[in-house]
Amino acid sequence: MNCRSEVLEVTVEARQVEEAMLALLHTILLHRSTGKFHYKKEGTYSIGTVGTQDIDCDFIDFTFVRVSSEELDRVIRKAVSEFKDALSNSGSDGMGQISLEFFQKKKSRWPFSDECIPWEVWSIKVNVVNLANEQERQICREKVGEKLGEKVINVVEVINRHEYLPKMPTQSEVDNVFDTSLKDVQPYLYKIAYQITDSLGTSVSTTMRRLIKDTLAL
Amino acid sequence: MAHFDTDYQRLEASYSDSPPGEENLLMHVPEGAKSQWHHIENLDLFFQRISFIPKNGFTCMLLGEIFELVQLLFVVGFTVFLANCIDYDILFANKFVNHTDSSKVTLPDAFLPVDVCSARIRHNAFMIFVLVISGVFWLHRLVKFIYNVCCYWEIRSFYINALKMTMSELPYVTWQEVQARIVEIQKEHQICIHKKELTELDIYHRILRFKNYMVAMVNKSLLPVKFRLPVLGECVFYTRGLKYNFELIFFWGPGSLFENEWSLKSEYKRGGNRHDLADRLASRILWIGIANLLLCPVILVWQILYAFFSYTEVIKREPGSLGARCWSLYGRCYLRHFNELDHELMSRLSKGYKAASKYMNCFLSPLLTVVAKNVAFFAGSLLAVLIALTIYDEDVLAVEHVLSSITLLGVCITVCRSFIPDKHMVFCPEQLLRVILAHIHYMPDHWQGNAHRYETRDQFSQLFQYKAVFILEELLSPVVTPIILIFCLRRKSLEIIDFFRNFTVEVVGVGDTCSFAQMDIRQHGHPAWMSEGKTEASIYQQAEDGKTELSLMHFAITNPQWQPPQETTHFISQLKERVHREATGLLKKKKKRPRSLIANLLAGPSTLSSVHFGRDGCLNNHTAAGIGDGASALRSLSPISSSLYLRGSLSAAHRATSHTSAVSKAMAGSGTDARTVSSGSSAWEAQLTSLVLSEYASTEMSIHALYMHELHKQQSRGELPRHTWHRQESDESSDSVPDEVRSEPNTHLRNFPRSHTFPTTVPSPSAIPTSASATSSSTLSQQGVGGFQMFFSYPVGAGVKVVRSARVPMGGWAEDTQGAPRHHEPLPEESSEDEMPPHIHKVNPGAIIRWTGCSTIPSDDQRNRLDMFRLTLSSSIS
Repeated sequence: MNCRSEVLEVTVEARQVEEAMLALLHTILLHRSTGKFHYKKEGTYSIGTVGTQDIDCDFIDFTFVRVSSEELDRVIRKAVSEFKDALSNSGSDGMGQISLEFFQKKKSRWPFSDECIPWEVWSIKVNVVNLANEQERQICREKVGEKLGEKVINVVEVINRHEYLPKMPTQSEVDNVFDTSLKDVQPYLYKIAYQITDSLGTSVSTTMRRLIKDTLAL
Repeated sequence: MAHFDTDYQRLEASYSDSPPGEENLLMHVPEGAKSQWHHIENLDLFFQRISFIPKNGFTCMLLGEIFELVQLLFVVGFTVFLANCIDYDILFANKFVNHTDSSKVTLPDAFLPVDVCSARIRHNAFMIFVLVISGVFWLHRLVKFIYNVCCYWEIRSFYINALKMTMSELPYVTWQEVQARIVEIQKEHQICIHKKELTELDIYHRILRFKNYMVAMVNKSLLPVKFRLPVLGECVFYTRGLKYNFELIFFWGPGSLFENEWSLKSEYKRGGNRHDLADRLASRILWIGIANLLLCPVILVWQILYAFFSYTEVIKREPGSLGARCWSLYGRCYLRHFNELDHELMSRLSKGYKAASKYMNCFLSPLLTVVAKNVAFFAGSLLAVLIALTIYDEDVLAVEHVLSSITLLGVCITVCRSFIPDKHMVFCPEQLLRVILAHIHYMPDHWQGNAHRYETRDQFSQLFQYKAVFILEELLSPVVTPIILIFCLRRKSLEIIDFFRNFTVEVVGVGDTCSFAQMDIRQHGHPAWMSEGKTEASIYQQAEDGKTELSLMHFAITNPQWQPPQETTHFISQLKERVHREATGLLKKKKKRPRSLIANLLAGPSTLSSVHFGRDGCLNNHTAAGIGDGASALRSLSPISSSLYLRGSLSAAHRATSHTSAVSKAMAGSGTDARTVSSGSSAWEAQLTSLVLSEYASTEMSIHALYMHELHKQQSRGELPRHTWHRQESDESSDSVPDEVRSEPNTHLRNFPRSHTFPTTVPSPSAIPTSASATSSSTLSQQGVGGFQMFFSYPVGAGVKVVRSARVPMGGWAEDTQGAPRHHEPLPEESSEDEMPPHIHKVNPGAIIRWTGCSTIPSDDQRNRLDMFRLTLSSSIS
């Protein structure tokens, strides 16, 4: 469990889910991204620039800052919209959780695949409510905006603490720490996973994997 | 367009700092991952593996695993071979082989041809079933083996690269050293990302996370391991199979309470739907029970085969081994402290082994002895005749069943012999039990003063069972386990759920651990165990048998670097100081006495005292025991100070010196101590230090454990215990004082050089009579103190043989004198030291007498003197 975990909880209306999630995920990623590294021969590197961009939300009174990288945005959007669809299709009481996990890779010897060791996990719990009329929606719009603002400050506070971050890698190891697939920005390696309601039997595959590992580790 | 002429100019220089094209870019130097040891994913497992290795070393582990695999293959293969491929008719000579050339039957004759053999196997469905099962099992083990090897390899390189230890020195490194280095490593590599620094407790918590839960559950009698059976009475059934199942259900099996190795599932932390969860747990237990039931035949067959192959040879070779005893699995759980590693527990229990088996031997039934003696006699005569005949003409062996009857008679005699007690054995269970207590640290309250009773013996035998019983239980386990799971454990599911909810705390950087393992006196202390007023625990929260307090002391003593929270520190130092002060108080009084014979006693072995001081010094390096006070008073009393003040005196002088130098000082100072010096060549010095340190720690813990038990006893009874009278009676019955005198101390002192014990014991006879003469017969206090004395005299005596040379000078005598005042301390007038001299005067004779022989009446001066003299003689002779 050698990883920090932070939990954020929000209560939103169905149409606000996507924007709220984007706002939070982007906020976290903004602080967990750097410019591209340019390595020099003598083993040093310089860091490229990162642009930021203000995004206004349509359904919430809220503006958030994100890294101005279309590619990154696309990836996040895709994950969030999947989550939103799953949430609306689930038909349950509209509880869900999306988690953003930062990890680093550890090269293993041949028979094993690379280990992905998480060092920070952000779980965002979403509670979807249904509103009866337009007036309530209006109130909700402001309320959620305020709440999100608090969350953003919350995130920044957490990130400002001096806690463990993977060490800056050398050129050969950069893929073990940073996601270098994007052209214009370089976030720490991350994974986005979601889960609808806190279902008891998580996913079958994780259970199986754990089972095998446990029996091996006996 | 006017031309502006200003002072403002472009500052050209600023551009030259950065390379063209990459303006204003800072250059960074990557730190890189200097080692692969930062941020380890599963620290629990990692630490566990680390803690495994120092004991055995890498090669041993590897070889052990390989042999285990081979053994498995062999057991299965050999069984199948025996069952199918041997023509027993030929072997038993029921059928004759028609050899043309010779009439001799050879082993290969008895083997069936390969094709017949394989056909037989193929037609036997059960055999195929067994083969398939074992094949699957073996493959599983193989995969596990490969996995383990990879893990070990990683750990090995961790040892070499990060901890900077070579493989050759690994077997001699103590866990404390490894741990200290891990704590260092954390600062550099951050193997745990939550904290900048790891504490010892964190490491222990991770390694023993589940074991602490098990210990706590046994402590709170949550696990169904004790049963009341119609005929057998109360008995304990706890086998490896059962333990495995418990762990499967609670900790790691599919659907267990734990989400992963370090956190309890969140729903189990909430009290809301505890009934649902309990139901679910119950059904899961049911399923696992059923699975056990289904697999029962396979496991049973395996257990039988395994037991057969591993024990038959031993039993044939030394049948007495079945009569030997071992600490039962339940005992290990019951006696284990919170946060105590396997090897710590085992070394502690092993030290108590001798006394424990002696104690159990006290209870041999006389009836059985008579029968056994006679059976042994008749069997012996038969055997003697047979052997004599065989020697005369070995053709006798060829007669049918002669060989087998010789074997059987031999076994019979050995078994009988185990029922015949040692001629020189004396019945003094109370003392033995104290010696045992000094090592095992736990026992139920009602044992005290009832050591001579059969109930106590029976209960103790639950902790300390016959090896034979152990094997039998293991054999029965596959059948009994499902029954226990389905009928007993299932009923407890709600309690279990509650237990995990109530006693799980989340510790930053560690995860969910058992709250008992925090050893927080306030939360789990028991008022009857010195935490009166400090504890806020309800009865449900209190750990039984003073587990919290004793565990805390144990942990603090074994890990002197550990910095406990404020209150805990207070508790520890208070206790230490108390133990210390009482002893100091005693010594001061001693000095005031008109005829300071004690002073003589102590002045005698001055060489020894120097030894002690050296040692004390090295101890002080690792304990910051805040008890320097009475140190000076103690110096002159070195033999007395021996174990209790180990860590107290000379603190200032030696604190600064490094371990190694302290030891060498100790060695230099110990002129008499040739053995240590000789072994103290530079290569061994470091190891020796750590060995000595750990031995001292264990002695100190023994003393604290005894002290706490004694205090507890007084607190809970509120007056001097009656049990001494009991013992007195029982002791009187065996009027073999000299016997006792000879046998008891000797056995304990036998193992070390005479020269050391001698000076310590010699002065004592003179000391004791005087104290006896000072006695006005206030028997009650004598009794009580006497009982307490034995406490101290004994454990140390027992400890001595373990510590090689280290604790040599502290013969039981010295200890005797110091035990006394401790007894007084807990009495109401705790601080009034003026009260003490008279007590002490009275105290001594009783104390020592009781030690020398169980039966002496304290006020009987003459006899005392005699006994004392005998004892001294005998111990000096030994």
